Amino acid sequence: MEFGWPEAQRKYRERVRSIIDRDLPEDWPEIHRHGLASPEQAKAGRVFAGKLAKEGLLVQHWPKEFGGGDGEPWEHFILGEEMWPRGEPRGPQYMNVNWLGPALMKYASAEQRERFLPPIIAGDVIWCQLFSEPSAGSDLAAMQTKSVRVGEEYVVNGMKVWTSYARLAEWGFLLTRSGPARRDITILLVDMKSPGITIRPFPGIVEDGHLHEVYFDNVRVHVENRLFEENRGWEPVTYALNYERVGVQRYQIIHDAMHQAVKELKRRGTFDNDPLVQRDAGIVLAKCEASRLISYEVVDQRARNLPPSEDASVARMSAKECIMAFNDFVSTWMPEVLSEEPIGGDWQLSWAHSFTIASAIAAGAYEIQCDIVATRQLGLPRGA
Amino acid sequence: MNFALSSDQQALLDGLAPILARHQEMPREGRLSRHYYDHGLDQALADGGFLDIASVEEFSPLEAALVVDAIGTLPSVVEAATTLLVAPKVLPSGFPRPVTLISGPLHFPQRYLPVAKIALYQFEGDLLAIEVDPDNVELADSIFAYPYGRFRQLPDLDKATRLGPDKIPILQQWWRVALAVEAGRAMEQAVNFTVDYVRERHLFGRALGSFQTVQHRLAEGHQYARGARYLALRAAWSSDPVDAATAATYAQIHIDQTRFDTHQFNGGMGISNEHLLHFWTYRMRALESEMGGPGGNAVAVSRLAFAA
Repeated sequence: MEFGWPEAQRKYRERVRSIIDRDLPEDWPEIHRHGLASPEQAKAGRVFAGKLAKEGLLVQHWPKEFGGGDGEPWEHFILGEEMWPRGEPRGPQYMNVNWLGPALMKYASAEQRERFLPPIIAGDVIWCQLFSEPSAGSDLAAMQTKSVRVGEEYVVNGMKVWTSYARLAEWGFLLTRSGPARRDITILLVDMKSPGITIRPFPGIVEDGHLHEVYFDNVRVHVENRLFEENRGWEPVTYALNYERVGVQRYQIIHDAMHQAVKELKRRGTFDNDPLVQRDAGIVLAKCEASRLISYEVVDQRARNLPPSEDASVARMSAKECIMAFNDFVSTWMPEVLSEEPIGGDWQLSWAHSFTIASAIAAGAYEIQCDIVATRQLGLPRGA
Repeated sequence: MNFALSSDQQALLDGLAPILARHQEMPREGRLSRHYYDHGLDQALADGGFLDIASVEEFSPLEAALVVDAIGTLPSVVEAATTLLVAPKVLPSGFPRPVTLISGPLHFPQRYLPVAKIALYQFEGDLLAIEVDPDNVELADSIFAYPYGRFRQLPDLDKATRLGPDKIPILQQWWRVALAVEAGRAMEQAVNFTVDYVRERHLFGRALGSFQTVQHRLAEGHQYARGARYLALRAAWSSDPVDAATAATYAQIHIDQTRFDTHQFNGGMGISNEHLLHFWTYRMRALESEMGGPGGNAVAVSRLAFAA
């Protein structure tokens, strides 16, 4: 056991930083103010992700046989730690490399991999995750969007909601109900321009343009776009969610945002002599660091090729802790940043708040993570 | 970054395991006493060289912390945390032990004072090493699951060894590490103990542990304990004062919920002396207030981390 970064990983981090400094557009703060789900950031993200790809950094952690660099999972994590506090210059494509690509590598056919992986590797495609429905969020298996096999096609009818990046996406990773059993789930890789798909953005307290309803009205998807076997989609979904739970380095977003918050409070002269605000700031940092180490444990397991475990859920729980502490801190000590123009043009504080509002809901609500940890890791009996 | 034990670390803990196994059961007199100290375990650890590893070149404070962490699985107590993590940083090698850390005013009851040879005391900007005269110590009844004692008469501080003002921040840093290591393990033991109990205990026709409200709170306790242990071990590894304050803060801010929940789920049994739970929870309680408590340590995190 040891907690240090090897020289190679330190150099890797330095390289990532230097590339961000070099390739981030000069007007990045202005672009990012439109939000992670904005056309402006998606467009800039394509350029930036393309540059990362050319540097061999976008999918460095993927196996070489699938176009990656055989890098350590740590390298992918370091990349995320450097990207997220800068507002995620990859744009929505972070999902591609975090969980979507790995799910395709494990479950897609050779033809599908040949078709879908290259654009991801090149940093030139946006996907959206079509999981949640009005009555199927945390209880994902309750989904009602149906797919019916008709010849060589599936006909899809239903509705998805809370979908991030839907209006930007070329492709959707769509979960459908395809049989009578609760887990008769079939995954379809759907062209988002398909006839019958209607996308409606709706406002929320997260950034504008982030949330969408997606309607499917007799949408036809060819059977060659089915991922894995019919009715056996639950397995890839579980696999993907395990990756997604630690896919965003939220502790790093909060850590950096806290430093920015304190810098601003110091500038105002309301930090250095107030032990109450110092106490609250210290608690946020402590929770960040706990979440960091609990997340690192998951990465370490991946680096040692251990099977996925419920530790990803513990990590997700810990992320909620530091996010809630940070959001309380901001609401208590500098609430104006949530309603005013960003301080000095700096967007990171308000963005960190709005981006993380839904973190205890997405990828399986906090309570689902508690269920998973309690029953599968602690071995407590399931309820009646 | 590697969360697996190295071969040396594993060998160290493998060597410790048989000693801990022999002392796994707390004797009845220990359960019913408010001053119990496992002298047999202390002697076995000393004989095995485990209390000297801070002076062994191949080992770092992380290995010392791993030993303290492992000892913390036992319901019995011995003074190991200060000996292994604090005293080596401020006292000359070969110091007599056990060592106690004076918390609060000198006349207050102090942890381990009944067995201590040396007391470390922050006084007027200096760190003092007070040689403890056992005849000048009386037992203090305490709920805190450590042996507590108080000085019958305040010791003559002019006779104490002055270790120097520069030792104060070092003491504070490693005290934070030591309390975090002990607290993290105590939290984990309390949660594990309770998990075992609620799996078996049936109420309303079902296992208590099948109720979601119980499950979620124990899952949280599990998370807090894990975070506390890793932060403490990292602080021992890094020798960084920010990490030390962070570890102490995190452990202390989560002690209250962990203590409350584990006692709730053990019900009345948990507050009986024969039950083991209170050894973990009231040890945690004692550690909760040290080095300024959760508020004081959180302020320390801020002052250290945001100093620039």
